[in-house]
Amino acid sequence: MASYFATESLVPDALAGFARAHSDLVDLDAEHGFLTARRPAAGRRVALLSGGGSGHEPLHIGYVGAGMLDAACPGRIFASPHNRQIFQASCAVARDGGVLHIVKNYTGDRINFGIAAERLNRQGIRCARVLVDDDIASESESIAVGRRGMAGTVLVEKVLGAAADAGAGLDELVALGTRTSARCRSVSVASGAHNTPATGRPAFEVPAGMIEYGVGIHGERADRSLPVMPLAKLVEAMTADLVTALDPAPGATMIAMVNGLGSVTRMELYAVLGQFIAALTARGLVPGRTPVGEFVTALDMRGFSLTLLDADRETLALYDAPAHTAAWPSPATTLDRG
Amino acid sequence: MEFDAAFTDAWVRRFAAVVASTEERLTDLDQRTGDGDFGVNLRAGLESALARLARRDPADRSARGPLDAAATAFLDDVGGTSGPLFGLLLTELAGAAADHGDVLTVRALADGTAAGLAAIQRVGDAEPGDKTLVDALAPAARALREAPAKTRPDVALAAAADAAWEGVRGTALFRARRGRASYLGDRASGIPDPGAVGVGLLFSAAVDITSLSLDDLLGGAEPASPAV
Repeated sequence: MASYFATESLVPDALAGFARAHSDLVDLDAEHGFLTARRPAAGRRVALLSGGGSGHEPLHIGYVGAGMLDAACPGRIFASPHNRQIFQASCAVARDGGVLHIVKNYTGDRINFGIAAERLNRQGIRCARVLVDDDIASESESIAVGRRGMAGTVLVEKVLGAAADAGAGLDELVALGTRTSARCRSVSVASGAHNTPATGRPAFEVPAGMIEYGVGIHGERADRSLPVMPLAKLVEAMTADLVTALDPAPGATMIAMVNGLGSVTRMELYAVLGQFIAALTARGLVPGRTPVGEFVTALDMRGFSLTLLDADRETLALYDAPAHTAAWPSPATTLDRG
Repeated sequence: MEFDAAFTDAWVRRFAAVVASTEERLTDLDQRTGDGDFGVNLRAGLESALARLARRDPADRSARGPLDAAATAFLDDVGGTSGPLFGLLLTELAGAAADHGDVLTVRALADGTAAGLAAIQRVGDAEPGDKTLVDALAPAARALREAPAKTRPDVALAAAADAAWEGVRGTALFRARRGRASYLGDRASGIPDPGAVGVGLLFSAAVDITSLSLDDLLGGAEPASPAV
C-alpha cells in the first residue's frame, strides 16, 4: 500500500517550505494562508490572483511571480480556498485597476471567489473573474455547472500575466481571458487513481488492462474505461477529441501541452509529446509551442493530460513573454519562433 | 421597541438561540440532501457572532453594528458555503440600515434583503426553484418590498417570515439543480432545503423578539386613517 510522507499539517507545511525555497520570488502570509509575488512587474495596473484546492502542485503557487500571478490562495486538499483567504489576498495585491480572479470552473471555487468578489466590490475594489473550463470530458447537458477547469488554467494564467505586465486594464483582461479560455481544451487519462492521503488507498480502482478516459483532477472517475492500447493510438484518440471540440482553422498554430498528473515519469511524458506532435501534424495543424512537464497534478495520479490552445499571433507573443516563477519553464527558448 | 441596535442585537441573539436548539434537525436535513455540515456551520457562525457582539461598544446605537458583527462572523469565521452566503445577506442588511439613518426601517429591510438576495444569486447562480435558500429569501424579499412604507418593521418582518416559510415548504416539492443536493436527483425530493430552513429561522427569530398584538397582525399593515 502506498503511503504519503505527510503529517496532519501537510498543506501549511508544504506552503511554508515552498515559501522558503522560493523566498526570492514570493512572500507568505501564514496567518491568512496565501502567497504574494515579491517583484511583480512595475507596469501592472491590475493584480492577478488565482487559487483552488491543494494537491495540484505546482498549481497555483508555482505560478506566483513576475509575468504571471500576483497572489495564490491554496485551499485544503481538493477543497476550495475560503472566501476570507481570497478577500485578504485580493486586498493585499489589488492595484488601481482592481484585481482579476482566475477561477477553475468548480462549484465551490465559484462560490468562494464570488463571495470574496462581493466583499471587494462593496469596499470599492474593482474585481472581475475569468472562468477556465477546458475539460472536454465534463461537457454534458446534464451537468449544470459546465466543463471543469484543468491544465489549460496555466496557459490562461501565462497569457493574462503577460498582458497585465503590459498594462492591460481589467475589462481588457477579462475579454482576453474569456477568449483564451474559450479557445482552450484538455482531456485526461489515467492508468491508476491517486491515493487518498487520509487512507493511503486508491481513490478508485482501475480494472487490470483498462485505462480511464476523461478523468478529473480530484479523483472524479471518467465516464468511460477503455482497454489499454498502444500509446500512439491513445494519443491519436485524445487529439481527435480535442480537435473536434476546438474545430480550429486549417493550418492553425497550437500551443500543445503535455501535463503529468502526478506519478508519470518525464520519460513517458516526452514520449507522449512525440505522439501528440505527430497527431497534430497529420491533421495539418502546427504545434507551435510544446510545453511538457508537471503543471497541474492530482496528487499521485498515474495519468496525463493533453491541452490544446488555438493561439493567434497575439496569444503566442504573450505566451513567449518572460516570466519569473518557481514552476513556469522560463525564459522560454526562442528557436524557430515565427 | 426601537429598531436600532437594541433590536438588531436581540435579533442576532435570538437567531443564535433558535439555531442552537435546532442544530440536530438541520444536520439531519443536510445529511439527507447535502454533506451534513450546514447545522454545524450555522451554529459556529452564530457562536462567533455572539463573541463579536460581546466585544461591541455598548454606546453604539446604530442598527448596523450588530448586523455587521454577525456578517463578519459568517464571512470570516465559518467554513462551507452556506454560512458565508448568510454573511452576504447580513452585510447588505447592515449597509441598508446605515443608508436609512441607522434604523431598521421597512425600506431598509426591503432594500437590504433585496440586495442580499441579488448578491447570493450572483454568487451561487441559483434561480427560484433550484431548491436552495433563494426559495425562501426571494418570497421574503417580495413581502418586504410590497409592505406599505408606513408599515411597522415588526409587522413587515412577520409577513416576510410567513412568505419565507411558504417558500421553505415548497423546496420539499422539487429536486435540486444546484448545490450538493443536485447530485442526488429524485432522492432529495420530499425533504426541504436546509439553507432555506435557515432563512425561515432567521425571519422567525425577528418575529419572536417582537410583541405583536392581535390588532397589529390584523390591521397593522394599513394605517386606520389617511396618512398626513
